[in-house]
Amino acid sequence: MTISGRTAVAGVGVTTFGRLAGRSAWSLQAEAVRNALADAGLTKDDVDGLLTEPQFGEPLLLHGHVLGRMLGLKTYYLSTKSIGGATAISLVQEAAMAIDNGLCEVAVCVFGDNAKTGLPMLFGLAQMGRGQADDIAFGMAGGAAMEARSAMRYRHEFKVSDEMFGSVAIAFRDHATRNPNAQYREPLMMEEYLAAPFIAEPFRRYDCAVTTDGAVAVVVTSAERARDLAKPPVYVAGMGQGHNLDALKDPTHYTHFAGARSSARAFEMAGVATDDVDVAELYDCFTSTVLITIEDYGFCKKGEAGPFALEGNLQLGGELPMNTSGGLLSEGDLTGWNHVAEGVRQIRGESTSQVEGAEVCAVSGHGGFQAAHATLVLTKEPSR
Amino acid sequence: MSSNQPASTGKAGVADVAAMAGPVVDLVAGIKPIVIDETRGFWEGTAAEELRVQVCGACGHKQLPGGPCCRECLSDQLSWERASGRGTLFSFTIVHKAMHPAFAARVPYVLADIQLDEGPILTSNLTDIEPDEVAMNLLVEVWFDEPDRDAFGTQFRLPKFKPWRPDELRVH
Repeated sequence: MTISGRTAVAGVGVTTFGRLAGRSAWSLQAEAVRNALADAGLTKDDVDGLLTEPQFGEPLLLHGHVLGRMLGLKTYYLSTKSIGGATAISLVQEAAMAIDNGLCEVAVCVFGDNAKTGLPMLFGLAQMGRGQADDIAFGMAGGAAMEARSAMRYRHEFKVSDEMFGSVAIAFRDHATRNPNAQYREPLMMEEYLAAPFIAEPFRRYDCAVTTDGAVAVVVTSAERARDLAKPPVYVAGMGQGHNLDALKDPTHYTHFAGARSSARAFEMAGVATDDVDVAELYDCFTSTVLITIEDYGFCKKGEAGPFALEGNLQLGGELPMNTSGGLLSEGDLTGWNHVAEGVRQIRGESTSQVEGAEVCAVSGHGGFQAAHATLVLTKEPSR
Repeated sequence: MSSNQPASTGKAGVADVAAMAGPVVDLVAGIKPIVIDETRGFWEGTAAEELRVQVCGACGHKQLPGGPCCRECLSDQLSWERASGRGTLFSFTIVHKAMHPAFAARVPYVLADIQLDEGPILTSNLTDIEPDEVAMNLLVEVWFDEPDRDAFGTQFRLPKFKPWRPDELRVH
């Protein structure tokens, strides 16, 4: 017997996303926590677990201590973690495990940053470069230069066209047009996508996530307690992780992420097959990331995600509607935390691009130099 | 720190903080390599215009970047061996937008993943080629950029790569 269905997301809280000049990362985190507790119908005194990802501008050790003090929490479980774009999901998983093992009862997971208007990312970027063995000396600065080499190899091996990459950005933009919190809300046309300047080839502007200020908080509790709260429980049915820790130092990792291992665990735990997934929120720091993840997860065979996207299957009404808030590409880059929030909204029926009758949602997190991957399966029913 | 102690000998004296400012900026926001024990053999090799890979004495595995142990067998019987300096372009990107101000004057530049003939992948730059002529699987060879020092004074030369044209050798 696994943990599947024994815990649930009881609340999500987001701030306004966008250019929020004058707002500190801390104030955004606090607002998201307030909103998440209100959403769940809980108060701060109910919270006994805090799990945080530090903001990139001030990558403070002991971030959770500081935020917990600011929020006046009395915690029985505390964690601060940083495994790149897989952090959000991994913290929700950790919260579920802590709750299921009796270490705490109501855990808040939170991330917030003012990357758009706050402290420059320079510090963080330099440190990220260090993590990759001095590659920054050659200009390996920023995520685009990192992931572009994966995209270039993927394009070379599987004959993926510019238009296939573009169709990912266009699909998610279509969803963003209905989301008032999205950074890009105008429809994106292929001509405009192709005419945008290169950032790091093959990535043009709209292949890359859009920076934003903002915060997201997620309240996790036991399934039993979640059933008595303000919103219907969204069950944590499946969890998995997998990591390619040598990332782009291994030639096999350019076109295959650790998502295959991560999703296999999560789908097995949830008792679902790819056909059961009604909607997906896949980590989209770049368009190529989405295509490779679709294949890793088994939604398509290797090399077939590009044509699948080009046929419009990622859009609402398509075979696998995806990133229904606009994702990191159009809603804003909150390193995957907004994917968890949108996954919860889909299962509750609250999305601005709602998939009718959505009961199973797959959420992916990917990052840390393409090394870390985490998968969450959220469901409407506690077991399948 | 007591006030009668000379600042220059105090652990956190004003003069020491000022003297540390350069290295600290390099460490926090700079782009130079930071030579650590695990990578010292590699960077010392570059100073002598020699490209090296770390070799495991127990299982023969060759790796980059250098580490405290072999990634295949965890042995600490490691040494640095001279590599051929040649390899194949496994992947690349042409960077058009500098994400760090130090690269603003260099765009567009080719960030290249070179699979060395010895096996390991080394991220570097590809030079001496027009960006639109860069193609996957190109054969390349190393060259060494101007001498430089890291924040703690260790000398190095960045190893960069240019196309290797074997037929040029036959001209002589």
